[in-house]
Amino acid sequence: MKGKKIFILFALLVLSIFGLVGCAKKAVSGGESKTVIMGLDDTFAPMGFRDENGELVGFDIDLAREVFGRNGYEVQFQPIDWSMKETELNSGNIDLIWNGYSITEERKEKVAFTDPYLENRQIIITLADSDISSKSDLAGKKVAVQNGSSTLDAIYKEPEIVESFDGGEPVLFDTNHEAFMDLEAGRVDAVVSDEVLARYYIQQKNPEDYRILDEDFGSEEYGIGLRKEDKELLEMINSTLNEMREDGSFDEIYEKWFGDNDK
Amino acid sequence: MLSYILTLLPSILEGLVMTLKVFFVTLVLSIPLGVIVSIFRLSRFKPLSKITELYIWVMRGSPLMLQIVFIFFGLPIVGIAFDRFTAVIIAFVLNYAAYFGEIFRGGIESIDRGQYEAAKVLGLSPYRTFMRIILPQVIKIVLPSISNEVITLVKDTSLVYIVGLGELLRAGKIASNRDVSLVPLVLVTVAYLLLTAIFTVAFNKIEKRYSYYE
Repeated sequence: MKGKKIFILFALLVLSIFGLVGCAKKAVSGGESKTVIMGLDDTFAPMGFRDENGELVGFDIDLAREVFGRNGYEVQFQPIDWSMKETELNSGNIDLIWNGYSITEERKEKVAFTDPYLENRQIIITLADSDISSKSDLAGKKVAVQNGSSTLDAIYKEPEIVESFDGGEPVLFDTNHEAFMDLEAGRVDAVVSDEVLARYYIQQKNPEDYRILDEDFGSEEYGIGLRKEDKELLEMINSTLNEMREDGSFDEIYEKWFGDNDK
Repeated sequence: MLSYILTLLPSILEGLVMTLKVFFVTLVLSIPLGVIVSIFRLSRFKPLSKITELYIWVMRGSPLMLQIVFIFFGLPIVGIAFDRFTAVIIAFVLNYAAYFGEIFRGGIESIDRGQYEAAKVLGLSPYRTFMRIILPQVIKIVLPSISNEVITLVKDTSLVYIVGLGELLRAGKIASNRDVSLVPLVLVTVAYLLLTAIFTVAFNKIEKRYSYYE
């Protein structure tokens, strides 16, 4: 009798596996529907992250809600892993990447970018008591950078400086936060990071503990990434963002998140 | 400090729910599948045994994270698209069934041949022999190894971050990046430790219950 029960259990198991396969959904591609799915890394403060109540908040979230609200679209926010963003976009799981997404030549080959909506420098941050005051002082020092970020691309535009680092290359971390923690622990001497991120981080901590160097590794621009064929959506976002700059609502959202930062 | 931890709890608990969902669904599906895998692997029908060996090699020999990536992002290229949770479960079940399959194989092989012969003499069918004589002994032999895998599974659930599912560790990372603090990660570690403590105690109980034939 027990054998039969186990047999039935197996049968149920096999059925449930088929059941799971049956759940397979076809990827929905954006376009006609009035819903867009926006992909974001929900660990990315201050552009898009979760507050204490688990609600998505951030500069990009507010901006996107306004842009799509004005056009009668509904936005769904889909958390993604940042390393998978272009794959998510091109496989149709999401319709746009809008999350402090820097415009680079490599990315332009894969995705269509809107006009830039925010400028962001690649700044160098050290502890306040550090003797580093310029890029050339980084020679022989340990420098931390987020892996897979555009900061990494930016510093390699000046390869002679990267080669002068201790070890001839930057120390790579999964997130900026980890890079900063290593700076505080004294295991690295400087962090190169997005200005937006770094300023948010320093604000949360004690601003007097850090120094931002005057020199930087160039600036970059944030854009919104879409599939190349979604031209109408791209036009719509561009014109609405322009509209928002003119009527002042863009500045309002900017001030809410970046306050009196000098940029 | 305490009030800060309290503000973190709702999001951590929400992540915990996803972690537990992945954990239990994987466990419930992969253990029975593991028994099937071990039977296939021991099959005297060579092609079946060889194919199973290949499957075990692929599943154990490549990172689970990449298996999730292939199932979620790779299969849609050939027209098979799963939603995020389903893709994760398929990857986890296939992966863990391979490990469980090898554990069960070791258990089955440790049973003396004489028992099969005795069962045959007594007129038991091969199916009944396996279910009533072999399997009950195997279960008790493999329990410690199974509990080892179960503990690994608790921590492996964090790999679902790759398809953007919000589990325990991600909840911790979100709070950690937002508040620029290590406290959420400490809290997450405590949550994992509590989970493994619960499962360790549970397995000790089960092992006691299965300490028959002694």
